[in-house]
Amino acid sequence: MLKFVNGILVVAVLVSASALYSLEHKTRGLERQIAKTKALISDDDEAIKLLNAEWSSLTRPERIQSLAETHLKMQPRKADQIVQAGELAQRIPVIAAAAVPQQPADPIDNLLKKMQ
Amino acid sequence: MMSTHAMTIDGNVASRLKGQNRIRLVGLFFACVFLAIAVQLVRIGIIAPMNEEAKIIAEAREHIPRPDIVDRNGIVLATDIAVASLYADPRKIIDIDEAVELITATVPDIDSKALLAKFKTPGKAFVWLKRQVSPEERDAVYNLGIPGVGYVNERKRVYPQGRLSAHTVGYVDVDTKGIAGIERYLDDAGALFTASLTDPGKAAAAPAEIAMDIRVQHAMTDELSKAVTKFKAIAGGGIIMDIQTGEVISLVSLPDFDPNAEAKKIGKDQQNRMLSGVYELGSVIKAVTFAMAFDTGTVNMNSKYDARFPLVIGSARISDFHAQRRVLTVPEIFTHSSNIGTAKMALDVGVEKHKEFLSSVGLFDKLLTEVPETARPLLPKQWGKLVSATAAFGHGFAVQPLQGLSVVAGLLNDGNMVPPTFMRRSKEEADVLAKKIVKASASEALRTLFRLNATDGTASKADVIGYRVGGKTGTAEKVVNKRYSKEHSLTSFIGAFPMDKPRYAILIMLDEPKALPETYGYSTSGWNAVPTASKIIERIAPLLNVTPVFTAADREKLAKLAKAKRG
Repeated sequence: MLKFVNGILVVAVLVSASALYSLEHKTRGLERQIAKTKALISDDDEAIKLLNAEWSSLTRPERIQSLAETHLKMQPRKADQIVQAGELAQRIPVIAAAAVPQQPADPIDNLLKKMQ
Repeated sequence: MMSTHAMTIDGNVASRLKGQNRIRLVGLFFACVFLAIAVQLVRIGIIAPMNEEAKIIAEAREHIPRPDIVDRNGIVLATDIAVASLYADPRKIIDIDEAVELITATVPDIDSKALLAKFKTPGKAFVWLKRQVSPEERDAVYNLGIPGVGYVNERKRVYPQGRLSAHTVGYVDVDTKGIAGIERYLDDAGALFTASLTDPGKAAAAPAEIAMDIRVQHAMTDELSKAVTKFKAIAGGGIIMDIQTGEVISLVSLPDFDPNAEAKKIGKDQQNRMLSGVYELGSVIKAVTFAMAFDTGTVNMNSKYDARFPLVIGSARISDFHAQRRVLTVPEIFTHSSNIGTAKMALDVGVEKHKEFLSSVGLFDKLLTEVPETARPLLPKQWGKLVSATAAFGHGFAVQPLQGLSVVAGLLNDGNMVPPTFMRRSKEEADVLAKKIVKASASEALRTLFRLNATDGTASKADVIGYRVGGKTGTAEKVVNKRYSKEHSLTSFIGAFPMDKPRYAILIMLDEPKALPETYGYSTSGWNAVPTASKIIERIAPLLNVTPVFTAADREKLAKLAKAKRG
């Protein structure tokens, strides 16, 4: 009886020890992973900061202005180019209606007349 | 387990009392040891981690990271980036000549002779190869695989907008400690604000938002630097301020400096003229005198003053630049910028009352804002009749341009003066801080005069049709060799738009602009500072969401201008 109990206890000790060891091993693995991920996050944070700074530097108004002046055919907007929605109807520029070239006569009509 | 053992032993040798006692003693000993282990387990396993957490938070609090600085639209003005610095330990390098060759081939701007000399110095254990290199350079050198060559990571403050934000944002020293501008504010007076941006336990801080709009700042800088070049001025400056909240949306002082440069070369010329310089602003100060006279009720719009003869006080004579030699009404005094009329108005209010008023609007005190570089106004020591008369038109006392602008802004804002700020501020916060300096009726009268001066007076070149600009010009003679010089002047313009409900105040200043053929030999404000202001307003009004409104008269004017251009 006693031997049996002792045997069970020994087995229990072995099982629990191995379980503990594997758990610890797993935990260490996870901890390593956490550290690695944290390092990746901080690397990405740094990269984001660098890119933000670069973006801000590349979109400097003076740079955009010089680029626009050399590559675009645009000019600063004047006050009178801004029109409120309510005033739109009065501010439509008058464009001369496209003249439709007048045909001397209807060709089919001519043909019919000839036939008569 | 113990008890079963004890029982079996008990059963086998029951009569030996001595042995039993010994077993009890051993049992007690084991119990004590197990108890000690249990206590220790609890201490290490449960209590210690809790303390450690507290320690981490405390550490995070100790090193408050420097927050980024962004403008009102969230554009980055200052940020920290990680940079690597390359170093070498010459004792560990096996073949020095080969190492130098490899390094200089990878990073061309390292001087090979100097490096060789450094490496060959006996006993040297540490040599900087190059500080603050790009990530590519760092990897390239590191991948050479030379033993003894390595890098350390450092933090570097960069200002992506460069010169544009230099005067307001300021800069830091090599240990990233704020030296000037908002950077210094974040370390000193604004330390509480800085701390409020950080989240305890987290390494990052929320960005510090300032009132500047970088697009407006650029438009100002661009137009001002064109004006400084065109009129061969020695310096120029400008401010845009939100009248209702006191936020400084743009502050330009030329010449400026590059905050990213290692040697910034900040001399007297590069100082922030809008804050750390004091200037006699001249006639723009007349706005203060007029508001005061309206407020005390000594004049109204129909009052008249005799401006036929120079005003003589003691041995001094006050005369007019744009002399009219007739009796002028109050609006005429303003639009012709008559010194005689303004001086008489101030004298009618009374010498003591005039002094009291100037002191109540704060013109006698140093203006304090977040940016620490500020100067104290220069005032005459004795306040008498002559001083009062000359101070009425801005002669004889010098103030910071920002201070002058904030007072005029307050006078136009129904008499509610809001202290200027470089940080964000809401309308509600501003209303609490506002100080009533004149009656609303006096403010309204001043607004009428400002608008009148831009349509028919000395500031007529400032009127951008549609944006309803109002303003006052000033041309002050500079003191050269302790005497006022006719050749050296400081021209300025203080204005606001849209005048029916002023929202933005603008100040433009040019130091010693020269006369040009196209200005018909004039170098007064109306020919240089005012047209510059007009160009700036035309560019920034759409950015600030000011909607243009045109009257029928405006449309006619525009049509005429368009015709003149075509013809």
